[in-house]
Amino acid sequence: MSNQETVISSESLWPEDAAEDEAVITNWFVSEGSAVDRGTTLGEMQVEKVSVDIVANTQGEVDEIMIDEGGELSRGDPLARLMIE
Amino acid sequence: MVVVGVTQIKEMYSNMVTARHYEERLREEYLEGKQPSFDISAGPIPGELHLAAGHEASGAGICQHLDNDDTVTAPHRPHHIAIAKDIDLKRMTAEIFGRKTGLSKGKGGHMHLYDPEVGFACSGIIAEGCPPAVGAGLAAKKRGSDNVAVAFIGEGAINQGAFLESLNFASVQNLPVVFVIEDNDWAISMPKGRVTDVSDGSERANGFDLPGYRVDKDDAIEIYQAASDAIGRARDRSGPSLLEVQVHRRMGHFMGDAEGYRPDDDIEQANARDSITRIENDLESQGVASDDIEQIRSKAQNRVEEAIEWAKSQPKPDPEEAYTDMFSNPEEGVTGGKNTDNVVRGDD
Amino acid sequence: MSQQKAAERQLTMSRAMVSAIAHEMREDEEVFYMGEDVADYGGIFDSTDGLLDEFGRDRIMDIPISETAYVGAAVGAAMEGMRPIAELMFVDFFGVGMDQIYNFMAKNTYMSGGNVSVPMVLTAGVGGTYNDAAQHSQTLYATFSHLPGMKVVVPSTAYDAKGLMHNAIRDDDPVVYLFHKRLMGIGWLPAPEGPKTPVPKEDYALPFGEADIKRNGEDVTIVTLGLHVHHALEAASQLSDDGTEAEVVDLRTLVPLDEETVISSVKKTGNLLVVDEDYQSYGVTSEVISRVVEHDSDIVNNVDRLAIPDVPIPFARSMENEVLPDVDDIVASVRGMNL
Repeated sequence: MSNQETVISSESLWPEDAAEDEAVITNWFVSEGSAVDRGTTLGEMQVEKVSVDIVANTQGEVDEIMIDEGGELSRGDPLARLMIE
Repeated sequence: MVVVGVTQIKEMYSNMVTARHYEERLREEYLEGKQPSFDISAGPIPGELHLAAGHEASGAGICQHLDNDDTVTAPHRPHHIAIAKDIDLKRMTAEIFGRKTGLSKGKGGHMHLYDPEVGFACSGIIAEGCPPAVGAGLAAKKRGSDNVAVAFIGEGAINQGAFLESLNFASVQNLPVVFVIEDNDWAISMPKGRVTDVSDGSERANGFDLPGYRVDKDDAIEIYQAASDAIGRARDRSGPSLLEVQVHRRMGHFMGDAEGYRPDDDIEQANARDSITRIENDLESQGVASDDIEQIRSKAQNRVEEAIEWAKSQPKPDPEEAYTDMFSNPEEGVTGGKNTDNVVRGDD
Repeated sequence: MSQQKAAERQLTMSRAMVSAIAHEMREDEEVFYMGEDVADYGGIFDSTDGLLDEFGRDRIMDIPISETAYVGAAVGAAMEGMRPIAELMFVDFFGVGMDQIYNFMAKNTYMSGGNVSVPMVLTAGVGGTYNDAAQHSQTLYATFSHLPGMKVVVPSTAYDAKGLMHNAIRDDDPVVYLFHKRLMGIGWLPAPEGPKTPVPKEDYALPFGEADIKRNGEDVTIVTLGLHVHHALEAASQLSDDGTEAEVVDLRTLVPLDEETVISSVKKTGNLLVVDEDYQSYGVTSEVISRVVEHDSDIVNNVDRLAIPDVPIPFARSMENEVLPDVDDIVASVRGMNL
C-alpha cells in the first residue's frame, strides 16, 4: 500500500456533554471513491437529539464507509477510512 | 395580602406534584420507541410534546381561585394548567396518546385539548388563546355572571398582536379577564432580552388602562396571592389585569430539544428554583407532618399512573373517524373524501 | 460515469438551501435573514444551520414572535432596495402576518403601477406526516398560489432547493419558498429516499415556471410537488412491476405554473393523476386538471386526483395516515384506471 490512510473515529466527534454512548448515522453525503477536501462534511450522525457533522480531517479520497446510513454505532466506533492525498 | 390557609396550600401542592409526576411519566412514555435516534413520529406518543415541568406553581396558584364556570385558555405547554383546572385526567391522557376515547377523540392531541365541563381549552398558535378568553369574559359580562376568564401565555407571546389587541379590547369593554404571562425566559432558543424591549412583561399593562403585576419568585403562594387580587378585580367587575409570573423550564422547549443554545449555568440556576421544594417547605412550616405530605404525593402519583394505564388500554380511532366532527351540523358531501376504498392500510 | 457520480458530493435539502443563502449573503451585503430561532438554533427545521457563525446576529436575526411586524418590516426593507428573507417557522402561522403578505408584499408592485418592487423571499416550513395535528401540519400551497402577486416555489430535492433559492433571492419580486419539513433531512424527522441528491458546489439558478420530469413513462402522468414527488416515484416503481410506466412531473413552482409540460405529458399518456398535500377543494389538483381540460378535454381519458380531504388534519396516527395521500393511494388510483 503506497498511500497513507486515516480513519475517522466517532470518538473525536462525540459531544462532550452527551449522556448516551449510542448513535445513528443519519446521512452520508459521499460514497466510496469520492474525492474530499479537509473540512468537507462527509455525513452526519445523531447522538441523542444532537446532529453531529462527520468531517474529513484531510484531503483525500473516501476508501471505505464503515457504517451504513441508518446504522447504529457505539462511541468510539470507526466511521470511515480516507486515503490521504 | 390574603392569608393562604393550609387546605389551599395542600390542594395546590397536590396539583403541583400531580403535574410534575405527569410530565416525568409522559417523558418516559414519549421517548419510548424513539431510541436510539430521536424520531418524532415513532412510539406511543408521536408528534410534538411540550412539557411543563417547572411551571407548576403558575397553574396551581392561579387556578386555585377558579371553578368550573370560569374559563381558561392555555398555550402549547398546557398540562399543569389543565390539571389545576380539574380536567378529566384520564381522557386528557387518552387524547395525548391519540386514543378514540380521548377528550377530542384523538383528533387534537396534546396541543389541542378541550374540556368544556371544566372550562379549559388550549391551542398551538402563540397568543391566540387571548382573544377567546376575552370572548368568554364578554359572555360573562353580557349575561351578568361573576365568571372570569384567564388567558395563559408565555413571555414570548407578549410581542404578538393578538395579545396587545386583547389587552385593549378587554380594558375598553371592562371585561373580567386576567392575562397571565408565564415567564420562563426562553421562547424556544430566544432569550427574553434578545426579543423583548422590557424585562418585566407586566409593564405591557402600562400602555393600557389596566393594572400589571409581576411575581418574581417561582412560588405558588405568592402567585396565589397576586392572582387573588387580579381575579378578585375581575369578579368584582372592576376589569382586566395583567399578571406575570416567573417559572422555569426543566425539560427544554419540546421533547427532542437538546438546548445547545442555553448556557449550563442558566439550566442549573433554573432547576435550583424548584417551586415544589418551596411549597413543601411552606407546608412543613404550617405544621403539616411529613407523612401527610408524602401521602398527598403518593396519591398524586397513583392518580397519574392510573390515568396513563387507562389511556394505554383505550382503543385507537378508526381511520374513517377522520371525516367526522368538522361541523356540529354536518352538511352532505363536504369532506372531499377519498376514492380509493380498496386500499389496504398498514398497521398503526 | 459511475466514477464521476461516486465523486459527486450529496447534500440534504436543508444543507443545499443553506448553501444558496450563504452564497447570496456573501455576494450581497443587503441580503439578510429574519425569523424565530434562526440564529443560535439554526432554524427549527435547519433552514439557517451554521449561518450565524459566518454572518453574525445583524444578518441572521432572531426576531420577536411578531409576524405582522417582521414580515411587514421585510416588505419595507425590500421596498428600500434590500433583499430580506423572512421566515414563517410553520406556514400555519401565516394567519398572524397575512395582511402584510397578501395585501402588501404581493400587491405593492401592482398597486404602484410597477413603480416599486418587493425583492424579498418569504420562507416557510410546510407539511405533515409526523403527527403535529391541525395547526402545524399544513402546506397551504393553494392559499399562496391563489392570491395574486406572489411567486410560489416548492422544491422536492436538494438540487432543486439550491437552484430555486438562488433564483428566489435574486428575483426582484416576492417569492414564497415553501420547504417541506420531511424533506429537509433533519435527524428527528427522517426523510425518504430521494431528496438527498448531488449538488454542484457552484451557484446556479433554476428558472421559475419550469416543471421537472423526474421520471419518464408512457402510460400515466402523475403531476405532483414536494414530498409527494417521492411518493409518486415509489408508486411508479411498484406500478412498473405490473407493466404500467408512470411519468412523474414535479411542478417545482406553482406560480408561475408550467402548464405546457403537464399538457404535453398528458397528450402522450392520455391519463392524469394529480397528487397534492393540501386540502382538496379549490386547490392545486383543481387547477392542474382545469388547465389541461381548458386546453383540450379530448386529450385525457382517465383523470383522478388525490389530496387531503376538506378536514383539519387529525392528530392520531391512524387518522392522519387516512387523510394524507400515500404511495398505496397513488398505486390504487392508477390501477383503478384499468390501463
